[in-house]
Amino acid sequence: MDTAKTPVDKLTYTQALTELETILRTLQSDSCDVDRLTELTRRAAALLSHCRSRLTATDKELREILDSLEATPQAGE
Amino acid sequence: MESFGNFQVEEVTSSPQAISLRELTSIVAHLVSDSSTRDRWVTAEIMDFAVRGGHCYMELVDKDADTGKTLAKLRAIIWASVYPRMSAMFCAATGQQLASGLKVMVKVTVNFHSVFGISAVISDIDPGYTMGDLVRRRNMMIQQLKDEGIYDMNRSLPWPDPTLRIAVVSARGAAGYGDFIHQLYSNPLRLRFTTRLFEAVMQGERAPASMVAALGRIAAEADEWDAVAIIRGGGATSDLVSLDNYELASHVAQFPLPVIVGVGHERDVTILDYVAGMRVKTPTAAAEWLVGRAGAQLDGLRDIATRLLRAVSDTLSGNSRQLSFYQGQIPVLAAGVSQRAAARLQRYGVSLSAVASGRIVRRLDGLSAMSDKIAMAVSTRVRTHADRLDAAATLLKVLSPEATLKRGYSITRIDGHSVTSAEDVPAGATLVTTLASGTITSTVNQS
Repeated sequence: MDTAKTPVDKLTYTQALTELETILRTLQSDSCDVDRLTELTRRAAALLSHCRSRLTATDKELREILDSLEATPQAGE
Repeated sequence: MESFGNFQVEEVTSSPQAISLRELTSIVAHLVSDSSTRDRWVTAEIMDFAVRGGHCYMELVDKDADTGKTLAKLRAIIWASVYPRMSAMFCAATGQQLASGLKVMVKVTVNFHSVFGISAVISDIDPGYTMGDLVRRRNMMIQQLKDEGIYDMNRSLPWPDPTLRIAVVSARGAAGYGDFIHQLYSNPLRLRFTTRLFEAVMQGERAPASMVAALGRIAAEADEWDAVAIIRGGGATSDLVSLDNYELASHVAQFPLPVIVGVGHERDVTILDYVAGMRVKTPTAAAEWLVGRAGAQLDGLRDIATRLLRAVSDTLSGNSRQLSFYQGQIPVLAAGVSQRAAARLQRYGVSLSAVASGRIVRRLDGLSAMSDKIAMAVSTRVRTHADRLDAAATLLKVLSPEATLKRGYSITRIDGHSVTSAEDVPAGATLVTTLASGTITSTVNQS
């Protein structure tokens, strides 16, 4: 499925990754159109950032997660 | 009173020889204490295993292999003086703590105690027998799972990319769980893991059913999770028998999400290690594996980013190289074009002059030929005319009045008009007669 038109934040990790690889192949091919270079690069950067943010958490989020984990056993016991 | 008295009398008088219970039990004890019951190796299954005050208590049972009916049962004890050594040796050899459900080969001495009755004191154990039994039982379970076609199901599930939402089956407050969580969330890559504990009893006879129930709770919300981690603190407290359970193995094998098992066992494996999508030794190792996997995803992204950058800069530099090549080429090409154009012009000029002069020469030749012709024609014409003039002149000379006059003719005029008829001459008119030489004036007398 072609996802090039789908907003990045609507994509699953796997879809984003697949599209990234497609863009990469396009860029690496001899037939890459210079007119599309900016557009493709911008899209690739957005996809990368989307995938990274799916994988990694900010400091604040990590603290919240750890706090909630520490709170749970105490509440249960 | 009387009957009481009679009874007393009767008892005293007619009672057979009796011994005290203590005497009887000491006889039993003596009978039991025989070389045939001393230091005998026996095989049995352990039940109701418990450690109290350092001593180890259990029931040894012998069950019918087919029906499971208890055929024999005997209380057994391992004294605190030998239990630690025996337990460590057993554990080292089997990777398994002594526990209920194990089949063991033990060296026992049967002992009869006046108060506690008959029991066996265990002085040694052969771990090889238990190992063999565990392996045999596990192999039977594996075969059954294979026969049912479910053995490979979990192992052939793909691990989702990324695997970040982990449903954890473990015991609350267990050291292994803490290690797992710590390892997962303190990863230096700050990977965004999500976990929730689905509590289960992880040891003992209740463990399999409890873990199956926890798996059921996860299955009910399987969309929320990427994978399941079954973890349990390891070390000396391990109890593999409770995990070597067919029902549990069957549930893990058929679980719709990939399962990673880290039940804290260094030496041996359980049936779960065979059927789970991934097996590691400890909860910490399970977390490390998950972190490593997600970290590899990050590395993959970094790699893609690098390749993207290279592809973009390659394309850009390739194009700009092409542009600068053209830029360099344009003056050269332009100069070449103008040089060629100039050369061409020159060539044209040369050939044009050659052609032109050729033509001019030809034309000039034509012209000069023509002038000759004209001259000739003119002279011919002139000559013709001259001849004609000569002829005319000759004729003229012949026809001229002078010539006629010379031949004797004369011209008579009256008042300047020539007279051609006598009727035109009245009497008295003056006639002027012109002769070839001179004139005569006469007057007419009669007409």
